[in-house]
Amino acid sequence: MEQLDVLLKSAAPFRMAPDDFISKITGLSRRVTFNAGDVVYKIGDPARNIYIVASGSVRHSLGDASQSHNPDRTMRSGDVFGWASVLEGSRRHLATTTCLERTEVVVIDGESMINLFRKFPAIGNAVMGGFAAMIRQDFSLPKEAEHVYRIANQEIIQGEKETAVLTGFGLMMYRVSEWLKSPKPYLMMIGFTLFLGFWYLTVEVWKLPRFQDMPGLTTVVSEYLSRDPIYGMSIYTPEYYQHIWVSIRRVAIAFLLATALGVPLGLFLGWSRTFREYVFPIFELLRPIPILAWVPLAILMFSGSETPVIFLTFLASFFATALNTMLGVESIDESYTRAAACLGASRWQVFKEVIVPGSLPFVFTGLQISVGVAWFSLVAGEMVSGQYGLGYVINTSYTMVRYPTIIIGMVTLGVVGYVTSAMVRVLGDYLMQWRVREESIGGR
Amino acid sequence: MSAKRWKAALYGRGTRRAVISIIVFLVLWELGSRSEAWLGTRLPWIGNVPPPSSVMVAWGALLGDAGYWTSWYLSTMRVMSGFIAAMVIGIPLGLLMAVSRAFYGITFPTFEILRPIPPLAWVPAAIIFWPTQELSIAFVTFLGAFFTIVINVLGGAKSIDIRFFQSAQAMGSSKWDIFRRVVLPATVPSIVVGSSVGMGITWNVVVAAEMISGGGGGGGGGSGGGLGFFIWNSYVGGSYDQIVVGMISIGIAGYACSELLRGMGGFFTPWLRTR
Amino acid sequence: MSAVLETLDDRLIVPSNAARGGAIQIDDVVKIYDPDGAAVMAVDHCTLDIPAGEICMIVGPSGCGKTTLLNAIAGFHSITSGTIRMDGEVLCSPEKPKADPGADRIVVFQNGALFPWKTNLENVAFGPLMQGKMGKKEIYEKARSMMADAGLSGTEHNYPGEVSSGLRRRVEIVRALMNEPKVLLFDEPYRALDSLTRSVMHEALLDIYYKNKVTIFFITHDLEEAIFLGHRLVIMTSRPCRPKKILEVDIPHPRDYSVLTSPRFREILEETSDAVHEEARKSFAAGEKEG
Repeated sequence: MEQLDVLLKSAAPFRMAPDDFISKITGLSRRVTFNAGDVVYKIGDPARNIYIVASGSVRHSLGDASQSHNPDRTMRSGDVFGWASVLEGSRRHLATTTCLERTEVVVIDGESMINLFRKFPAIGNAVMGGFAAMIRQDFSLPKEAEHVYRIANQEIIQGEKETAVLTGFGLMMYRVSEWLKSPKPYLMMIGFTLFLGFWYLTVEVWKLPRFQDMPGLTTVVSEYLSRDPIYGMSIYTPEYYQHIWVSIRRVAIAFLLATALGVPLGLFLGWSRTFREYVFPIFELLRPIPILAWVPLAILMFSGSETPVIFLTFLASFFATALNTMLGVESIDESYTRAAACLGASRWQVFKEVIVPGSLPFVFTGLQISVGVAWFSLVAGEMVSGQYGLGYVINTSYTMVRYPTIIIGMVTLGVVGYVTSAMVRVLGDYLMQWRVREESIGGR
Repeated sequence: MSAKRWKAALYGRGTRRAVISIIVFLVLWELGSRSEAWLGTRLPWIGNVPPPSSVMVAWGALLGDAGYWTSWYLSTMRVMSGFIAAMVIGIPLGLLMAVSRAFYGITFPTFEILRPIPPLAWVPAAIIFWPTQELSIAFVTFLGAFFTIVINVLGGAKSIDIRFFQSAQAMGSSKWDIFRRVVLPATVPSIVVGSSVGMGITWNVVVAAEMISGGGGGGGGGSGGGLGFFIWNSYVGGSYDQIVVGMISIGIAGYACSELLRGMGGFFTPWLRTR
Repeated sequence: MSAVLETLDDRLIVPSNAARGGAIQIDDVVKIYDPDGAAVMAVDHCTLDIPAGEICMIVGPSGCGKTTLLNAIAGFHSITSGTIRMDGEVLCSPEKPKADPGADRIVVFQNGALFPWKTNLENVAFGPLMQGKMGKKEIYEKARSMMADAGLSGTEHNYPGEVSSGLRRRVEIVRALMNEPKVLLFDEPYRALDSLTRSVMHEALLDIYYKNKVTIFFITHDLEEAIFLGHRLVIMTSRPCRPKKILEVDIPHPRDYSVLTSPRFREILEETSDAVHEEARKSFAAGEKEG
């Protein structure tokens, strides 16, 4: 089909495509002959095919609705029409095409061609760009008609406006499918198997000296899943969930309090130099003291056994949140505050409209750290002076020689810690839509 | 910083204000602690805290006590050894993960699952496993810093501008060369940052471990003792002033260690000093 | 586009704009920085007059201090001595070293300062919303129509991070124009764009100028850009900066891209490139860091 290839290559949108790609397109095509006066298609007909004139001539008339400067054109050999089938949205022909004489056209199914472009996005991109340019130049249509079909997750810029973005669910599905196709999940499985295998073998099979007394993998798992656990805790016992709930509740209270106090403090520390010079020294004096060194003092200060634990957790989160918020404010490019001042914003307005939104990324990083730190302190606090809670469970399991329960406690802690951190991250993504979108386009 | 800068910093408005606030803070603390005496009723929370004046007195008394300084030594040793162990294993591991996709794929998911487990939750397991208490504390300390360091190394390696690699390759560097001259130096700043955070965690773990393991009175193969134990002991023994002394001491020790690390990091990264 | 203005003589428009104002008088201004005790003079007794409604291009090597001058006019930096006036009123002087930033002198920044967390429309509406002089509905309508005028319809609800940098620049200019400023201060705004986008931006800028006739104070290091856009060309020395050569560009407005190959353009380029190149060499030898 050499002749066809040459013809295709001479057509405007396909000039940049490599020869083997051209062959693939012509493989999708067929030839049709029309007589003089035949109408190939009318305005409003469903657009399925692209047509390239091989020989003869066709009159191409755009309707009034198109507002084109140049509604009537005569197509000859090498000219392309029927491109409505690559327009996004319309998929109905925008013109009536009539043959002026006996004409042979090459017909390509639009859908198949788009699918081919999907397989070779780089080339598809270039060809689409060619279509866009052709539509703009040769047909001089107003911009509204110049939407070129979006190829998934590729950027095709027409003028400067069009960007192709998958957001939300679609993006997630795409990412999941990409992940499954990569070697990642399999490597991950190998890693897990190695780790768990190591644990199982060293404790239960080979019974190595050091490892002998450790709870084994099968022991822990069977304990965890049994309805009547030997050591008293499994997914079927209500105590398990009680402990989880108590720990979560403490972390939640402490975290929320720390955020409510820490974020405003951080914002002011970053924003007002006067405030910072007075308050930051004290902050920095107290921060290096490890949270757990506060334990006895906390017990002295607060009555009961619940409050000291929450206080410790609060303190750890508070320092992390306030510090990161302050750094967030400092990280804001001064051009933004200057621009706002230029545009007539008062100091308070600059704070509200620039500082607060601008520092959110750092704030959320700080909040994720804060959650991690909260769990850390909570566990320590519970181990030292608490009743109920996962830290308490781990400690007492040790003293009461219920070793498998230790592992259950540890794993639960890990999972719950991860979930709470992820929740903060998701909230951050939701609040900072602009960042998510920017990153999905820029894409590192 | 030039001499003029130092002078300005010392006598400047910033220092003045800092001094003022610290004085105000101390005064409020003193008044709050002594509230029972001059107010008649004890203020909640603050009223139970030992006042700064008695803390200072207690501290003065301790300065001559050998046991106090031994505690310093023990805690610092634990922190440093755990931390250095974490660096020795963590930095190469992190770099390996950064460099080899396959290795990363295998190890990272497991790493990420273990990471959220607070180090202190490992204490009982560590005690069961390791023969001596000292080793179990060291292990937990190691864990605390280890995760942070690895994450920071990874972060640093990932953020290396790809053009550094490209220009190195264009100039004909071997893979080892690239590693040594591009990857390593670029990750040092991240490692330094990671170390500061890791240091904080390490101190926390050491203090907690010392408190939990109850000390043991300085006997039994060097186990026990340390500033954490000192604080706990003071609480149990009723010398509340010493609690605060202990807290401040740890704060100072922790700060000194972090600054030391930062200084060493700065030594290895002279290019960052220019601004 | 500029079809309407094609037949009008540029000079006819200027007098009616004098009422709008925006003439800037820079009078013997000196700026000395003092980092670490080593005094660095950035601006050296600079005197300059910028007539209202004109495009004044400031050309100079990197780091010479021209941005400092712009910042002084805008009110971001203080001056050490001298006076800057706008329409006769003092912006800053030794008694008041730092001007107040205001919506009458709006800056378009080098790396763009559109707020990434607001959509394009919200950015454009920002100024009037902050100043509170108009109703919300009115403001948004005006914003939409100004964006449409500049060919930006359809991007109102995108975030700046989602669109190209050329488009971002245009949104930023529209954001400034919403406030009907007297002066627009451009700080090498097209420096980071590729030359193809830049040439499109030049035409867009002129288009906006013809419709709005603000005074434009434009800093650039690109001599051709300066000659193409400006009424007046001020060539600055290397640091500390002072006007070295001032030139009226007598190519008639409205201009389009064909100007770049016209003989008069080439002549002016020849006249000025020696002066610019000399200063650039000095700056290079001194190892100046870009400001």
